[in-house]
Amino acid sequence: MGIAIEVYRTCRETVEAHGGGRLRQARLAVGELSAVEPELLAYAWEAVIEDSPDAGAELVIEWCPADQRCASCGEAKERASGSWMRLCPDCGMPLEVRGGNELDLVDLSFETVDNVSDEGAKVAG
Amino acid sequence: MKQVVTVKRRALAASEERAENLRSRFAASGTLVANLISSPGSGKTTLLEETVRRLNGEVTTAVIEGDVATENDADRIRALGVPAHQILTGGACHLDARQIETGIEDGGLPDVDILFIENVGNLICPTTYDLGEDFKVVLLSVAEGDDKPVKYPAIFARAEVAVITKSDLLPHVPFDLESVQGQIASLNPNGTVLTLSSLEGDGLEGWIDLLRSRLETKRRASV
Repeated sequence: MGIAIEVYRTCRETVEAHGGGRLRQARLAVGELSAVEPELLAYAWEAVIEDSPDAGAELVIEWCPADQRCASCGEAKERASGSWMRLCPDCGMPLEVRGGNELDLVDLSFETVDNVSDEGAKVAG
Repeated sequence: MKQVVTVKRRALAASEERAENLRSRFAASGTLVANLISSPGSGKTTLLEETVRRLNGEVTTAVIEGDVATENDADRIRALGVPAHQILTGGACHLDARQIETGIEDGGLPDVDILFIENVGNLICPTTYDLGEDFKVVLLSVAEGDDKPVKYPAIFARAEVAVITKSDLLPHVPFDLESVQGQIASLNPNGTVLTLSSLEGDGLEGWIDLLRSRLETKRRASV
Protein backbone atom coordinates (compact mmCIF):
# COMPACT_ATOMS: atom_id res chain seq x y z
CA MET A 1 0.00 0.00 0.00
CA GLY A 2 2.81 2.38 0.93
CA ILE A 3 4.50 1.62 -2.36
CA ALA A 4 1.30 2.27 -4.33
CA ILE A 5 1.02 5.66 -2.60
CA GLU A 6 4.63 6.50 -3.50
CA VAL A 7 4.15 5.36 -7.12
CA TYR A 8 1.07 7.55 -7.39
CA ARG A 9 2.94 10.47 -5.83
CA THR A 10 5.74 10.09 -8.39
CA CYS A 11 3.14 9.98 -11.19
CA ARG A 12 1.48 13.15 -9.93
CA GLU A 13 4.82 14.97 -9.63
CA THR A 14 5.64 13.99 -13.21
CA VAL A 15 2.28 15.10 -14.56
CA GLU A 16 2.56 18.43 -12.74
CA ALA A 17 6.08 18.89 -14.12
CA HIS A 18 4.61 18.56 -17.62
CA GLY A 19 1.84 21.08 -17.21
CA GLY A 20 -0.66 19.09 -15.15
CA GLY A 21 -3.70 17.07 -16.11
CA ARG A 22 -5.55 13.86 -15.50
CA LEU A 23 -3.51 10.65 -15.30
CA ARG A 24 -4.76 7.90 -17.65
CA GLN A 25 -2.09 5.22 -17.49
CA ALA A 26 1.22 4.54 -15.78
CA ARG A 27 3.67 1.84 -16.85
CA LEU A 28 5.83 0.43 -14.08
CA ALA A 29 8.77 -1.97 -14.37
CA VAL A 30 8.80 -4.35 -11.41
CA GLY A 31 11.82 -6.60 -10.89
CA GLU A 32 11.69 -10.13 -9.57
CA LEU A 33 14.06 -9.10 -6.75
CA SER A 34 12.22 -5.89 -5.85
CA ALA A 35 10.21 -7.70 -3.16
CA VAL A 36 7.06 -6.21 -4.68
CA GLU A 37 4.17 -8.49 -5.56
CA PRO A 38 2.53 -7.22 -8.79
CA GLU A 39 -0.97 -8.47 -8.00
CA LEU A 40 -0.99 -6.88 -4.57
CA LEU A 41 0.43 -3.66 -5.96
CA ALA A 42 -2.29 -3.53 -8.64
CA TYR A 43 -4.90 -4.06 -5.93
CA ALA A 44 -3.40 -1.33 -3.73
CA TRP A 45 -3.21 1.00 -6.74
CA GLU A 46 -6.97 0.68 -7.23
CA ALA A 47 -7.52 1.65 -3.61
CA VAL A 48 -5.15 4.62 -3.85
CA ILE A 49 -6.67 6.19 -6.96
CA GLU A 50 -10.30 5.28 -6.28
CA ASP A 51 -11.11 8.56 -4.55
CA SER A 52 -8.48 10.68 -6.28
CA PRO A 53 -8.98 13.02 -9.25
CA ASP A 54 -7.28 10.30 -11.31
CA ALA A 55 -9.86 7.59 -10.58
CA GLY A 56 -9.81 4.96 -13.31
CA ALA A 57 -6.14 5.46 -14.21
CA GLU A 58 -4.60 2.18 -15.25
CA LEU A 59 -1.40 0.73 -13.80
CA VAL A 60 0.43 -1.48 -16.31
CA ILE A 61 3.11 -3.64 -14.75
CA GLU A 62 6.09 -4.93 -16.74
CA TRP A 63 7.68 -7.90 -15.02
CA CYS A 64 11.50 -7.97 -15.10
CA PRO A 65 13.04 -11.36 -14.30
CA ALA A 66 16.16 -11.55 -12.15
CA ASP A 67 19.44 -11.58 -14.07
CA GLN A 68 22.04 -13.34 -11.98
CA ARG A 69 25.34 -14.78 -13.12
CA CYS A 70 27.98 -16.99 -11.64
CA ALA A 71 31.48 -15.54 -12.00
CA SER A 72 32.95 -18.97 -11.56
CA CYS A 73 30.86 -20.85 -14.17
CA GLY A 74 30.57 -17.70 -16.32
CA GLU A 75 26.92 -18.41 -17.03
CA ALA A 76 23.54 -16.87 -16.30
CA LYS A 77 21.78 -18.82 -13.57
CA GLU A 78 18.03 -18.97 -13.35
CA ARG A 79 16.40 -18.17 -10.08
CA ALA A 80 14.54 -21.11 -8.61
CA SER A 81 10.89 -20.24 -8.12
CA GLY A 82 10.38 -18.37 -4.86
CA SER A 83 14.04 -18.62 -3.91
CA TRP A 84 16.32 -15.73 -3.07
CA MET A 85 19.40 -17.88 -2.78
CA ARG A 86 22.45 -16.00 -4.01
CA LEU A 87 24.71 -19.01 -4.39
CA CYS A 88 25.33 -20.80 -7.66
CA PRO A 89 23.34 -24.06 -7.64
CA ASP A 90 26.19 -25.77 -9.52
CA CYS A 91 29.39 -24.57 -7.88
CA GLY A 92 28.21 -22.81 -4.70
CA MET A 93 29.92 -19.49 -5.46
CA PRO A 94 28.11 -16.18 -4.79
CA LEU A 95 26.01 -15.03 -7.75
CA GLU A 96 26.42 -11.58 -9.23
CA VAL A 97 23.04 -9.88 -9.54
CA ARG A 98 22.76 -7.64 -12.60
CA GLY A 99 19.04 -7.07 -12.84
CA GLY A 100 15.74 -7.71 -11.15
CA ASN A 101 15.71 -4.89 -8.60
CA GLU A 102 13.62 -2.59 -10.82
CA LEU A 103 10.81 -0.52 -9.40
CA ASP A 104 10.80 2.10 -12.12
CA LEU A 105 8.17 4.29 -13.65
CA VAL A 106 8.71 3.77 -17.38
CA ASP A 107 6.19 6.17 -18.88
CA LEU A 108 2.77 7.57 -18.29
CA SER A 109 -0.02 9.13 -20.28
CA PHE A 110 -2.28 11.92 -19.12
CA GLU A 111 -4.82 14.35 -20.48
CA THR A 112 -4.16 18.02 -20.18
CA VAL A 113 -7.01 20.22 -19.04
CA ASP A 114 -7.18 22.35 -22.21
CA ASN A 115 -9.11 21.09 -25.20
CA VAL A 116 -6.41 21.20 -27.85
CA SER A 117 -6.55 17.94 -29.77
CA ASP A 118 -3.08 16.53 -30.27
CA GLU A 119 -3.36 12.77 -29.80
CA GLY A 120 -0.28 10.89 -28.72
CA ALA A 121 2.12 13.85 -28.57
CA LYS A 122 5.42 12.62 -27.20
CA VAL A 123 7.31 14.64 -24.67
CA ALA A 124 10.77 13.50 -23.61
CA GLY A 125 11.06 13.16 -19.85
CA MET B 1 -5.03 16.73 -25.18
CA LYS B 2 -3.46 13.39 -24.48
CA GLN B 3 0.23 13.37 -23.68
CA VAL B 4 2.60 10.44 -23.27
CA VAL B 5 5.61 11.15 -21.13
CA THR B 6 8.66 8.90 -20.99
CA VAL B 7 9.77 8.98 -17.40
CA LYS B 8 12.39 6.31 -16.64
CA ARG B 9 12.50 7.30 -13.02
CA ARG B 10 12.57 5.19 -9.89
CA ALA B 11 8.98 4.82 -8.74
CA LEU B 12 10.05 5.62 -5.18
CA ALA B 13 12.15 8.54 -6.44
CA ALA B 14 10.73 11.13 -4.06
CA SER B 15 11.37 8.89 -1.07
CA GLU B 16 14.80 7.85 -2.32
CA GLU B 17 15.87 11.47 -2.88
CA ARG B 18 14.94 12.23 0.71
CA ALA B 19 17.00 9.27 1.85
CA GLU B 20 19.98 10.56 -0.14
CA ASN B 21 19.60 13.99 1.47
CA LEU B 22 19.64 12.32 4.86
CA ARG B 23 22.71 10.33 3.87
CA SER B 24 24.57 13.53 2.90
CA ARG B 25 23.56 15.11 6.17
CA PHE B 26 24.79 12.10 8.16
CA ALA B 27 28.02 12.09 6.14
CA ALA B 28 28.61 15.76 7.01
CA SER B 29 28.09 15.14 10.73
CA GLY B 30 30.06 11.87 10.62
CA THR B 31 27.08 9.99 12.06
CA LEU B 32 26.90 6.24 11.59
CA VAL B 33 23.28 5.16 11.05
CA ALA B 34 21.94 1.65 11.58
CA ASN B 35 18.39 0.69 10.60
CA LEU B 36 17.17 -2.19 12.80
CA ILE B 37 14.49 -4.43 11.31
CA SER B 38 12.82 -7.52 12.76
CA SER B 39 9.48 -8.99 13.67
CA PRO B 40 7.86 -7.67 16.88
CA GLY B 41 9.37 -9.08 20.05
CA SER B 42 12.71 -10.26 18.71
CA GLY B 43 14.65 -7.97 21.03
CA LYS B 44 15.46 -4.78 19.12
CA THR B 45 14.84 -2.42 22.03
CA THR B 46 16.59 -4.64 24.58
CA LEU B 47 19.63 -4.89 22.31
CA LEU B 48 19.62 -1.09 21.91
CA GLU B 49 19.39 -0.60 25.68
CA GLU B 50 22.45 -2.79 26.20
CA THR B 51 24.24 -1.17 23.27
CA VAL B 52 23.86 2.45 24.38
CA ARG B 53 24.74 1.42 27.94
CA ARG B 54 28.00 -0.16 26.77
CA LEU B 55 28.90 2.68 24.42
CA ASN B 56 28.12 5.33 27.03
CA GLY B 57 31.13 7.59 27.66
CA GLU B 58 32.91 6.29 24.56
CA VAL B 59 30.69 7.52 21.72
CA THR B 60 27.48 9.56 21.67
CA THR B 61 24.28 7.82 20.57
CA ALA B 62 20.65 8.62 19.84
CA VAL B 63 17.67 6.47 18.91
CA ILE B 64 14.65 6.97 16.69
CA GLU B 65 11.88 4.54 17.59
CA GLY B 66 9.14 3.57 15.16
CA ASP B 67 5.95 2.04 16.48
CA VAL B 68 2.28 1.94 15.65
CA ALA B 69 1.40 3.17 19.15
CA THR B 70 2.87 4.17 22.56
CA GLU B 71 6.04 5.97 23.63
CA ASN B 72 7.19 2.87 25.55
CA ASP B 73 10.33 2.22 23.55
CA ALA B 74 11.55 5.84 23.49
CA ASP B 75 10.92 6.02 27.26
CA ARG B 76 13.12 2.96 27.81
CA ILE B 77 15.98 4.61 25.92
CA ARG B 78 15.51 8.02 27.59
CA ALA B 79 15.64 6.31 30.98
CA LEU B 80 19.28 5.57 30.16
CA GLY B 81 20.02 9.25 29.56
CA VAL B 82 20.19 8.84 25.78
CA PRO B 83 18.20 11.15 23.47
CA ALA B 84 15.34 9.32 21.78
CA HIS B 85 12.43 10.29 19.59
CA GLN B 86 9.30 8.21 19.12
CA ILE B 87 7.65 8.17 15.70
CA LEU B 88 4.06 6.93 15.88
CA THR B 89 2.95 5.58 12.54
CA GLY B 90 -0.69 5.20 13.54
CA GLY B 91 -1.05 1.91 11.73
CA ALA B 92 1.59 2.11 9.01
CA CYS B 93 3.91 -0.91 9.04
CA HIS B 94 7.24 0.79 8.24
CA LEU B 95 9.19 4.04 8.55
CA ASP B 96 10.08 6.19 5.53
CA ALA B 97 12.70 8.88 4.95
CA ARG B 98 10.20 11.69 5.36
CA GLN B 99 9.43 10.53 8.90
CA ILE B 100 13.13 10.39 9.75
CA GLU B 101 13.62 13.96 8.50
CA THR B 102 10.78 15.35 10.57
CA GLY B 103 11.58 13.02 13.48
CA ILE B 104 15.08 14.48 13.83
CA GLU B 105 13.63 18.02 13.83
CA ASP B 106 10.65 17.32 16.09
CA GLY B 107 12.71 15.30 18.52
CA GLY B 108 15.45 17.95 18.59
CA LEU B 109 17.98 15.14 18.27
CA PRO B 110 21.60 16.33 18.46
CA ASP B 111 24.33 15.26 16.01
CA VAL B 112 25.74 12.06 17.49
CA ASP B 113 28.32 9.43 16.59
CA ILE B 114 25.81 6.62 16.12
CA LEU B 115 22.11 6.99 15.36
CA PHE B 116 20.02 3.85 15.70
CA ILE B 117 16.68 3.68 13.92
CA GLU B 118 14.42 0.99 15.31
CA ASN B 119 11.92 0.26 12.57
CA VAL B 120 8.34 -0.89 13.12
CA GLY B 121 8.30 -4.61 13.97
CA ASN B 122 7.81 -6.21 10.55
CA LEU B 123 10.04 -8.36 8.34
CA ILE B 124 8.48 -7.34 5.04
CA CYS B 125 7.62 -3.69 4.35
CA PRO B 126 10.59 -1.92 6.02
CA THR B 127 12.82 -3.86 3.62
CA THR B 128 11.91 -1.59 0.70
CA TYR B 129 12.40 1.81 2.34
CA ASP B 130 15.79 3.52 2.38
CA LEU B 131 16.13 5.73 5.46
CA GLY B 132 19.55 7.13 4.58
CA GLU B 133 21.19 4.51 6.79
CA ASP B 134 24.69 3.12 6.41
CA PHE B 135 23.44 -0.42 6.86
CA LYS B 136 20.41 -2.46 7.75
CA VAL B 137 20.49 -4.89 10.64
CA VAL B 138 18.01 -7.75 10.70
CA LEU B 139 17.31 -9.44 14.04
CA LEU B 140 15.92 -12.92 14.51
CA SER B 141 15.34 -14.41 17.95
CA VAL B 142 15.85 -18.12 18.44
CA ALA B 143 12.26 -18.42 19.71
CA GLU B 144 10.90 -17.41 16.31
CA GLY B 145 11.88 -20.64 14.58
CA ASP B 146 14.76 -21.65 12.37
CA ASP B 147 13.17 -21.29 8.94
CA LYS B 148 12.63 -17.54 9.00
CA PRO B 149 15.49 -16.49 6.69
CA VAL B 150 14.17 -18.59 3.82
CA LYS B 151 10.57 -17.57 4.56
CA TYR B 152 11.36 -13.84 4.62
CA PRO B 153 14.32 -13.80 2.25
CA ALA B 154 14.32 -10.18 1.04
CA ILE B 155 15.35 -8.62 4.34
CA PHE B 156 18.02 -11.26 4.97
CA ALA B 157 19.38 -10.69 1.45
CA ARG B 158 19.48 -6.91 1.96
CA ALA B 159 20.68 -6.50 5.54
CA GLU B 160 24.47 -6.32 5.83
CA VAL B 161 24.28 -7.58 9.37
CA ALA B 162 22.06 -10.33 10.77
CA VAL B 163 21.85 -10.72 14.54
CA ILE B 164 20.48 -13.91 16.06
CA THR B 165 19.16 -12.83 19.47
CA LYS B 166 18.11 -14.53 22.72
CA SER B 167 20.84 -17.15 22.42
CA ASP B 168 20.34 -17.86 26.15
CA LEU B 169 17.10 -19.63 25.12
CA LEU B 170 18.90 -22.06 22.79
CA PRO B 171 18.80 -24.95 25.30
CA HIS B 172 15.03 -24.55 25.63
CA VAL B 173 13.79 -24.17 22.05
CA PRO B 174 14.21 -26.21 18.87
CA PHE B 175 16.49 -23.98 16.79
CA ASP B 176 19.16 -25.27 14.44
CA LEU B 177 21.70 -22.45 14.68
CA GLU B 178 23.97 -23.86 11.99
CA SER B 179 21.10 -24.22 9.56
CA VAL B 180 20.03 -20.60 10.12
CA GLN B 181 23.59 -19.34 9.68
CA GLY B 182 23.76 -21.32 6.44
CA GLN B 183 20.44 -19.92 5.18
CA ILE B 184 21.57 -16.36 5.84
CA ALA B 185 24.96 -16.98 4.21
CA SER B 186 23.32 -18.29 1.05
CA LEU B 187 20.90 -15.34 0.88
CA ASN B 188 23.65 -12.81 1.53
CA PRO B 189 27.11 -14.29 0.89
CA ASN B 190 28.88 -11.04 1.89
CA GLY B 191 26.91 -10.37 5.07
CA THR B 192 27.88 -10.74 8.72
CA VAL B 193 26.00 -13.03 11.09
CA LEU B 194 26.26 -12.54 14.86
CA THR B 195 24.70 -14.56 17.68
CA LEU B 196 24.13 -12.94 21.07
CA SER B 197 22.09 -12.67 24.23
CA SER B 198 21.28 -9.12 25.33
CA LEU B 199 20.17 -10.37 28.75
CA GLU B 200 23.19 -12.57 29.51
CA GLY B 201 25.73 -10.53 27.56
CA ASP B 202 27.11 -13.44 25.50
CA GLY B 203 28.25 -12.26 22.08
CA LEU B 204 27.48 -8.60 22.77
CA GLU B 205 31.12 -7.56 22.48
CA GLY B 206 31.16 -8.78 18.86
CA TRP B 207 28.23 -6.50 18.06
CA ILE B 208 29.81 -3.54 19.87
CA ASP B 209 33.12 -4.15 18.06
CA LEU B 210 31.31 -4.20 14.73
CA LEU B 211 29.76 -0.80 15.53
CA ARG B 212 33.14 0.59 16.62
CA SER B 213 34.77 -0.59 13.42
CA ARG B 214 31.94 0.74 11.21
CA LEU B 215 32.13 4.10 13.00
CA GLU B 216 35.89 4.24 12.50
CA THR B 217 35.44 3.55 8.77
CA LYS B 218 32.78 6.24 8.54
CA ARG B 219 34.97 8.79 10.32
CA ARG B 220 37.89 8.07 8.01
CA ALA B 221 35.60 8.49 5.00
CA SER B 222 34.19 11.83 6.20
CA VAL B 223 37.58 13.42 7.03
